[in-house]
Amino acid sequence: MLSRSAQGLYWIGRYLERAQHGCRLIADQFETMKDRPVDEIDKGWRRLYLGLGRAPVGGELRSNLDDEQFMLVDAFTLADDLTFEPGNPDSIRNSLANARENARQVRNVVDEDLWSCLNLAFLEIRDVEIADIWRDRPNEFYRRTEDTVRTFFGIADGAMYRDDSWQFLQLGRFVERAQLLAGLIDAQLSVYPAGGPRADRGGDPDWLSLLRICAARDAYGRLHSLQFEPAAVVDFLVAEPLLTRSVRYALARVCEALDAVSAGRPLLVEAGRRAGRLAASIDYDWPNRDPGDDNANRATLREIGDSCRRLHDDIDAAYFSYGMEDSPDA
Amino acid sequence: MPVEQAGTGGPAEGGQLFAGYETDPAFYDEMFDAAGAPRAHCRELWEALGETPRDEIATMQERAERSFLHEGITFSVYGEEGAQERIIPIDIIPRLVSAEEWENLERGLRQRLEALNLFLADIYGPGRIVADGVIPADLVRGCPQFRIAMRGVEVQHGAYVSVCGTDLVRTHDGFQVLEDNLRVPSGVSYMLANRQAVKTSLRNVFRRHRVRGIEDYGRLLRQTLAELSPRGDADPTIVLLTPGVYNSAFYEHMFLAREMGVELVQGSDLVARNGFVYMRTTGGLQRVDVIYRRIDDDYLDPLAFRPDSVLGTPGLFNAYRLGNVAIANAPGTGVADDKSVYAYVPEMIRYFLNEEPLLANVETHLCRDPEGLEFTLDNLDRLVVKEVGGSGGYGMLVGAHATAEERTAFAELIRQNPSNYISQPTLDLSCAPCLTEDGAAPRHVDLRPFVLRGQETRLVPGAFCRVALTPGSLVVNSSQGGGGKDLWVLSE
Repeated sequence: MLSRSAQGLYWIGRYLERAQHGCRLIADQFETMKDRPVDEIDKGWRRLYLGLGRAPVGGELRSNLDDEQFMLVDAFTLADDLTFEPGNPDSIRNSLANARENARQVRNVVDEDLWSCLNLAFLEIRDVEIADIWRDRPNEFYRRTEDTVRTFFGIADGAMYRDDSWQFLQLGRFVERAQLLAGLIDAQLSVYPAGGPRADRGGDPDWLSLLRICAARDAYGRLHSLQFEPAAVVDFLVAEPLLTRSVRYALARVCEALDAVSAGRPLLVEAGRRAGRLAASIDYDWPNRDPGDDNANRATLREIGDSCRRLHDDIDAAYFSYGMEDSPDA
Repeated sequence: MPVEQAGTGGPAEGGQLFAGYETDPAFYDEMFDAAGAPRAHCRELWEALGETPRDEIATMQERAERSFLHEGITFSVYGEEGAQERIIPIDIIPRLVSAEEWENLERGLRQRLEALNLFLADIYGPGRIVADGVIPADLVRGCPQFRIAMRGVEVQHGAYVSVCGTDLVRTHDGFQVLEDNLRVPSGVSYMLANRQAVKTSLRNVFRRHRVRGIEDYGRLLRQTLAELSPRGDADPTIVLLTPGVYNSAFYEHMFLAREMGVELVQGSDLVARNGFVYMRTTGGLQRVDVIYRRIDDDYLDPLAFRPDSVLGTPGLFNAYRLGNVAIANAPGTGVADDKSVYAYVPEMIRYFLNEEPLLANVETHLCRDPEGLEFTLDNLDRLVVKEVGGSGGYGMLVGAHATAEERTAFAELIRQNPSNYISQPTLDLSCAPCLTEDGAAPRHVDLRPFVLRGQETRLVPGAFCRVALTPGSLVVNSSQGGGGKDLWVLSE
């Protein structure tokens, strides 16, 4: 397919995944705010910002742990920053707007129902402000917004022709997912060191919340009888091949998509080789780690994140922005 | 058709909708005759809409507009805040054209496009019409749209203009051609979208009529383009070339690409090398056979036309000249829709086809001629003056609506460069009922049918009907606040 169309679909996938991730993070933080002590709420925000690699408004989190009222006002500002802030390129609204703008540009290769879904979501969120959603139940806003993304992928899953347009949409979605998950788990280990003293590790609720963000609570519970052992949770979210929000699962989808768009010869392009290596390292190297060595594990997670960023460049070079001399037909 | 039983059958009896409708004898009314009775082919519509409660019609109108917004059927307007997406307002009361009216229009349109294509083949070929003194040589060669590079280029089937959008108006004297749009005419997507919206919101009224379908347009366009392929194979690679998402007609480009199932490309997606044109795909470069371009000549190829263009594809024209790719419409067709050349179209029809023109031209005065210039300057207050290469309602003076100062200033422009201007009488554009807050009211309308020419000439029975939504306004251009209407060509 036309490179620019493929690129548009790839970015739709990335931006929608980003918007959904943002919704899940904030919805979970609001859960925390319902009944957790202020220092837990504070840590929740830290994890959130660290995971996204973003500095909050004003450059750093300045919590006043003695003042619950302050924490609430603070939550208002922080949620606004992550949801609506025009200057935040990754805010939920900007992510949706960018997905929609990409769809508009390549609309001739986007199914009408998918376009309608995005266009309506965009029109709905375009003029909303944080005060509007704060007045009633903010959780519902995030749930509704996430539902938009789910609807989009539901329609895509059910109706899209499985040609390259589908594959590039998947590719964008799962490269983004792998990268976001690596960042989130890294942030979790930073705020709640798994190998540190018992007191620092965080309690069950902190690990439960991480599982909840990744829609992994029930699956984990069936396997581990709700023993929220940090190392087991981390391992589950990194390496579990059957969990849709695990790094390994995302990489498997990336490899599949690359396999499809390269006509079964993914190893001929650097993107295919890199994705394969990354998946293999989780299969073969990750199990040998020391679960108590947070520094080493965080370094590994950051490496996964970096690899995802390089993978993005590889995909761009191989399929979207290649020079004339690199063309297979040249 | 039942003969009216009682009363005049005038607007007042068509239920509440037409209660306050007042025709102006100065203008032909599309729905009502001079006595105020509905025309025979409009009676059914008049009855059906009259029976429908007003609030129901208002709801239908809202629904149609909302569907445009939700489906993103928009065009861009250039303003202070950059390009903005807007919808073209739709009026859901359709404009009806009888079977007989359409048949005459269609014959006239076919004849006209045939002559225009022969004219282009001649001026870029043997040049007989100029040699025989039918059209002044300097008018043709001095036209900014004349492309010397097109001399001697072989054009498949002589189809220089493959897609033509002719603007027609109706006065008491019948239909007249206001202008031929032969470069990159737009609006066909609104014709199709308006039909879709009106068919949905007025479905019961629609069912009561025998309206000829227009949904075939995308298929016919694809077939037309395929016939231009230099390879002559059954399934050529066709692309639609757009300037991009900021172009006012981007929605239409996207829409047509989807309808035809072809790639929508920008200049940067195309590469010309070794005399062939390729597009950049995820599987490498793929050869392109036919380019339906929706950008101006100037931006096609910086090597052949405007060197400062960043939109074009260097080497594209060379590939075209070598016959390795088709471009539709061909470069250089603009010379035939120049407003001075327009005045000679009836002569072209006589010269090339040896027939009398079936569609009338609007009386046109060329300021390049001394008599024309004098007449124009003397009668500025009742004329419309246009730049010969202008379009979209820009760069024109409507004398009757201008102030004395504006006229004086414009007269100076004309004197400085007479060849750049033509003048025409202010046209009494016909009116059609439009929905307003106070029921139906007359608004001025025109129509733009689309005629295709590949191996043969094709057109769907329909048109983009433009309407000046401001009361009394004669300007129907979308960029100047005009709206659209569905146009129903009846089959009997």
